[in-house]
Amino acid sequence: MSTSFAKKTPFITRPMIVLFLALGTFPLWGTSVGLYDYLGVEIVIWIIYALGFNLLLGYTGLPSFGHGAFFGVGAYSYGLFQLNVFESVWLAVAAGVVGGAVVAGLVACFISHRRGIYYALMTIAFGQVCWFVSMKWHTVTGGEDGLLNVHRGTLNLLVTDASLKDNADLFYFAFAVLVAVVLILWRLVHSPYGKALQAIRMNQMRAGFVGYNVWLIKWSVFTLSGAIAGLAGGLFAIAQESAYPDVMSLHASGFVVMMTLIGGGFVSFWGPVIGAIVFFVARDFLGSITETWLLWYGLMFMGVIIFKPEGIAGAFQDFVAKRRARVEN
Amino acid sequence: MDIILNLLPHLLNGLALGLLFALIALGFMLIVGVMELINLAHGSLFALGAYVAMTIIDPNLSGYGAFGEWYMGLSLTLRYIIALAFAPVIVAFVGMGLEICMRRTYGKKAEYGLLLTYGAALVLEETIRITWGSAEQVLQIPDAISGAFIAGGMIYSNYRFFAAGFGLVLILVVWLFLEKTPYGSIIKAGAHDSEMVRALGVNLTRLRLLVFGLGAGLSAIAGVVLTPIWGLRPHVGVDVVIPAFLIIVLGGIGSFWGAVIGGILVGLTVGIVGALAPEWSLMSMYILLIIVITFRTRGLLGKKSALEN
Repeated sequence: MSTSFAKKTPFITRPMIVLFLALGTFPLWGTSVGLYDYLGVEIVIWIIYALGFNLLLGYTGLPSFGHGAFFGVGAYSYGLFQLNVFESVWLAVAAGVVGGAVVAGLVACFISHRRGIYYALMTIAFGQVCWFVSMKWHTVTGGEDGLLNVHRGTLNLLVTDASLKDNADLFYFAFAVLVAVVLILWRLVHSPYGKALQAIRMNQMRAGFVGYNVWLIKWSVFTLSGAIAGLAGGLFAIAQESAYPDVMSLHASGFVVMMTLIGGGFVSFWGPVIGAIVFFVARDFLGSITETWLLWYGLMFMGVIIFKPEGIAGAFQDFVAKRRARVEN
Repeated sequence: MDIILNLLPHLLNGLALGLLFALIALGFMLIVGVMELINLAHGSLFALGAYVAMTIIDPNLSGYGAFGEWYMGLSLTLRYIIALAFAPVIVAFVGMGLEICMRRTYGKKAEYGLLLTYGAALVLEETIRITWGSAEQVLQIPDAISGAFIAGGMIYSNYRFFAAGFGLVLILVVWLFLEKTPYGSIIKAGAHDSEMVRALGVNLTRLRLLVFGLGAGLSAIAGVVLTPIWGLRPHVGVDVVIPAFLIIVLGGIGSFWGAVIGGILVGLTVGIVGALAPEWSLMSMYILLIIVITFRTRGLLGKKSALEN
């Protein structure tokens, strides 16, 4: 995040290639180290979600603690579109994106003139409203059970059709979406718009004095983040073959915050990626030893906040800086 | 006229509920007001208080011989009073432990403190799950305050009114403590200008520890008094912390009477909406918050707070 203005940022960087190679080949090596394809799907979806979320938390410094709402709206939009409108994976995913963006855009109208803890509070309140609506509006959302008849469908690829029934195939689809999201977001945060986001994080008032329309930027970044959450939600609906209120709860919203922070979203573009991977590996690894893995994950999270709020990416940056200093001496 | 008569019982119930909500918000308010810290573990401390009280009222003392027999021989009322007195003290110490963990986040962004307490809430909830199991439990109450009475064709639960009265008394006690004792003055001064308070020779570190302990204790008392109404589950914490949060924002961060008014307002809203459209009663409070905050940025009685930056 602390790139100098003089140096042009390349479209593709080394960490990006490493990530794409390591993650893109997951179905080839995942099962041989005891993992399973569906885990890869989950990780990719949550990476997309967390990357979009970090646009707010890490880049603009806006604490949104009800972000699960837009993820959930994306999932419902996907399901409702598929069940009621038209049978197409592309269009249904697009419906998820639009759904997330519209709801986030509406919410952003109410909160974009706020800062700090009041911002956090309002996002929680709106997140809870969405969660309640999804629980209670039985005729549309199916209540607590959610939409049950969502199916994976086939993906129209112009020359051929690909079924998403198999987890490995679904993984490649989600991964392709992830590649697109990473490339776009990387470009975005290094554009003048991205610099404006960081200016708002550092000092909102000064950013205003310089001439940025702070309200509009905050509104647009929230909407964009909601759209990405909706995209992830749509993919999640495919993966789960359903959409349900649980992902909109305060707990689920908290998970994405924890991922982003543990990974180090405040200091690195890649923080959310690391965080999402750590979260799911911790869930599976700790979950296989103890039923109360959340206790240990919670303790780990507390430890990170107390001792290293910059997260894993921050610790890594410190390590690199220290080694460089040693080499120079 | 008819409508008003029909609504009267709901208003009364809403008012009682409002006092309970205010009671929940009390400990939360104290910590927010003095330490400018959103304590998301508030709900889990509430739940912990209730679980500890449940264990004090009905412990498994079969291995403790004479003491166990003597203790279980005590009347339920006496054991209830013991629980009401000691559970908050135990939880206060847990809260103090949390405050010690918190110290490294002071002076950093307010979100860090909030996130740390979120982690603590997760840890406390899981600890409760391990210790007491996930199933719904019952907190026994003495016969004197259980049961129900009928007035004007409506059934009222005795316990609800006991709890509301208890809430009212506790609110007054806390208010007297904050307004009429030197400790209260120091606490309020600490909220206003902590640096000046430190310059005047007050041990701020200890003050914060005590305030956090007090806040945790108050949430535990609320837990003991309220769980017979709301039931006792490990995740009751989330159901509690959100309304508390909401009431504080509604009333204005750092304002004592704001919290009380906010609580009563939420109680009335939930009560009345509950009478007309029960499905939506819990959601009505969020709508209330959004409406109020849209027009009054800092809540009903709020003043400018450092948490806004």
